[in-house]
Amino acid sequence: MPQKTIPILETKRLILRGPEPEDYPNFKATFASYRSRFMGGPLNAYETWMLYAAEIGHWNIRGYGMWMIHDKNTDETLGMAGGWFPAKWPEREIAWIIWPDKAGHGYALEATHAVRRYFYHDLGWDGAVSYIDPKNLDSIRLAERLGATKDKSAPSVDGHDVVYRHPSPEALASSQIGDAIEMEISHYADPMFKPKGYALD
Amino acid sequence: MMRYEVPQLETERLILRGHRESDIAAEKAFFATDASQFVGGPIPPHRAWRTVAMMMGHWALRGFGFWALEEKATGAYVGRAGLWFPDGWLEKEIGWTLMNDATGKGYATEAALAARTHAHDVLGWETAISQIDPKNDASKAVAARLGARFEKHFEDPEYGQIEIWRHPAPADLVNGGMEAYA
Repeated sequence: MPQKTIPILETKRLILRGPEPEDYPNFKATFASYRSRFMGGPLNAYETWMLYAAEIGHWNIRGYGMWMIHDKNTDETLGMAGGWFPAKWPEREIAWIIWPDKAGHGYALEATHAVRRYFYHDLGWDGAVSYIDPKNLDSIRLAERLGATKDKSAPSVDGHDVVYRHPSPEALASSQIGDAIEMEISHYADPMFKPKGYALD
Repeated sequence: MMRYEVPQLETERLILRGHRESDIAAEKAFFATDASQFVGGPIPPHRAWRTVAMMMGHWALRGFGFWALEEKATGAYVGRAGLWFPDGWLEKEIGWTLMNDATGKGYATEAALAARTHAHDVLGWETAISQIDPKNDASKAVAARLGARFEKHFEDPEYGQIEIWRHPAPADLVNGGMEAYA
């Protein structure tokens, strides 16, 4: 069910738009870097460009895909977040990546929270998973902050990833997870405390 | 999505249009066979899916790409032909690949000629290459019919040795035009 245009999602600090040709250099820089090690990288120029092209084709085939995350004030790109369901994927995935120099501001949390709400409310998804490399502790922490839990019984993509299952729309609505996420995002947006320890996406 | 436009072209027997999800099944079947050995195959079905997604994205990123070839008589998807220039690519390329039951009919030549004409007349390309596996005699015959000439060998880090064929420039086609190679 391809859509005519990619919807624009807006949050307090971010604007999410479809991937555009001019956004490619930051994507390329990230996938050339060690940051991409849990997403099949680092990749060479050809592989990276082809992955970016596939991100766009994914929108066309599935009617949803990965958004480019922009800073609302400066319009610079910060990373990507959205839905990913290429052939071979057992279930629809909610995925994210933040450029290495933009980590630690809660952008992934804010963007992923928004795309999940869109998938649940606008597209009627009844759930989603995230496939995460078990060594990718930052992403595992983010999945947990989003209320996702490890699902050992669910099939993974290739046996090298673990499956985190997101709370269903009902579970999200009837628990405090949603409020907790909103509160955490608001603290990033207007910090009362600087988080100590590891940087969180 | 679909914020990119794929101009629809028509030849005597083919319609050249943008790829659709329904074309993927044929590509999966093609990429499962040894016939795909000259274009990076055989590859598993999920990578064939991604190849179609990449072809769609190529249009969005470059404003040109591969067309899906639809046989006018049957409506069947018979392959792809078009213009290819991903990041890291050697030069702008004209390419063609036919599904297994569509070979031997001159479809590749017919489609590639339409693609090249588009490259010259609409995009203003002055030159283009085709990269061909040295063992791919059928594809070299298509290149020759298109008036392209073998230029050199090239050692591709991923695909090994390939032949570079150079297409005639628009100026070379002025006196005689497409008919000269028909």
